[in-house]
Amino acid sequence: MLNVALIAMILALLIPIYEASRNQDIWQKMLALSSIASKTSILVLVISVLRDDWMIGVAAVIILSVGNAGLMLLAQTLKRMNDVVKE
Amino acid sequence: MMDSYIYVMVALLPLTASMVIFQANPYHALVARGILGAIAAMVYAILGAPDVALTEALVGTMLAVMLYAIAVRSSLVMRLGVLKAAQSLPEDGNAPQPSQADSSQLDILTSQFRQILDKHHMRLELIPYADAQTLRQALIEREVHTICLDRSHTALDLHSTANHHSDSASNPPYQTLTRIQRLYEILNEEIQSPLTSLNYVEVPEATPSLTNDQPVSEEVPL
Amino acid sequence: MLINVLSYTCIGIGVLFWFWGTFALTSPRSVLFKLHPLSVSDTLGSISIIVGLLLKIPREWPLLILAILSLAIWNTMLGYVLAYCSSSGEYHDG
Repeated sequence: MLNVALIAMILALLIPIYEASRNQDIWQKMLALSSIASKTSILVLVISVLRDDWMIGVAAVIILSVGNAGLMLLAQTLKRMNDVVKE
Repeated sequence: MMDSYIYVMVALLPLTASMVIFQANPYHALVARGILGAIAAMVYAILGAPDVALTEALVGTMLAVMLYAIAVRSSLVMRLGVLKAAQSLPEDGNAPQPSQADSSQLDILTSQFRQILDKHHMRLELIPYADAQTLRQALIEREVHTICLDRSHTALDLHSTANHHSDSASNPPYQTLTRIQRLYEILNEEIQSPLTSLNYVEVPEATPSLTNDQPVSEEVPL
Repeated sequence: MLINVLSYTCIGIGVLFWFWGTFALTSPRSVLFKLHPLSVSDTLGSISIIVGLLLKIPREWPLLILAILSLAIWNTMLGYVLAYCSSSGEYHDG
């Protein structure tokens, strides 16, 4: 039962990947990246519960919180770059 | 033990990796690298290596992408030295007063440069200088990559090593000097503006260095 | 048994939320139009999935509560940062 949910989640993960490869705007790509980052860590969390493996769950939670922080830093850097170009 | 969803997840890894490879724009490639990092961390975690997954997420995705973003941002740039607008230095009375048309011409020229550099994913940084002398000095001392001179200033004392490509019959109002061979090739290939002529200047220095902020001790008359 | 049904219901709702938000991503609209359904559905769907897991295995509650907290805080903040960055970029366009 949880396997079916997992397959559905992977299908949901495929949509932003396709979107990121298709769209040429950098902010749309960032949007897809943020979606992918949270989806992958939730997937790992589900698998950790499925296998009853504590270590994978800890790694998933750390990736979840730290990956989002890194994403924010990247967004700030890209925005600064855009500001210099556009002004 | 090996469930079917693992195959699907591992198949995502070459997919996103090819996304990184076939991306021409460096900034888009950085975002694609972030996606690859997220997928890779997931695959490592479900294959039973949470330590590798953590390292991928922290170092491979966060640190490396940030460092590359800063490196790309500071290296893919052409610094163009221009003359400051004349109204900001009122003591320069003998110089011909640039009219509104002149500054708009310079705007057109820089926007053309910007279009050319955009094709190569570079950006243009304008650095204003007070007069033509400091502008040339900045080129010699490698503070800027390219300078854009008014023709009225350059007509006075142009005894440089520049090799002229523009015919003297059509006299463009601006002269662009660059000291980077590759920039000269790019600009010479694509610029078709009547506003400027383009010359390559060999900046005389013994050691060709890649760093721009290195001070040059000897004064070289251009 | 009831708890089992409840947890699968939560996970199913979460996956439905995910699909809803990511299908909004494929529409050819501006970033800000996409950002709203995407961040809402990602956060709510993920929280719903984690609640489902929490009902399934209550033994790992500190980890899952931590995941819910970091999701709720970081995703809202990330949505704000992305909106701020992208909209100021478009401002410079015009």
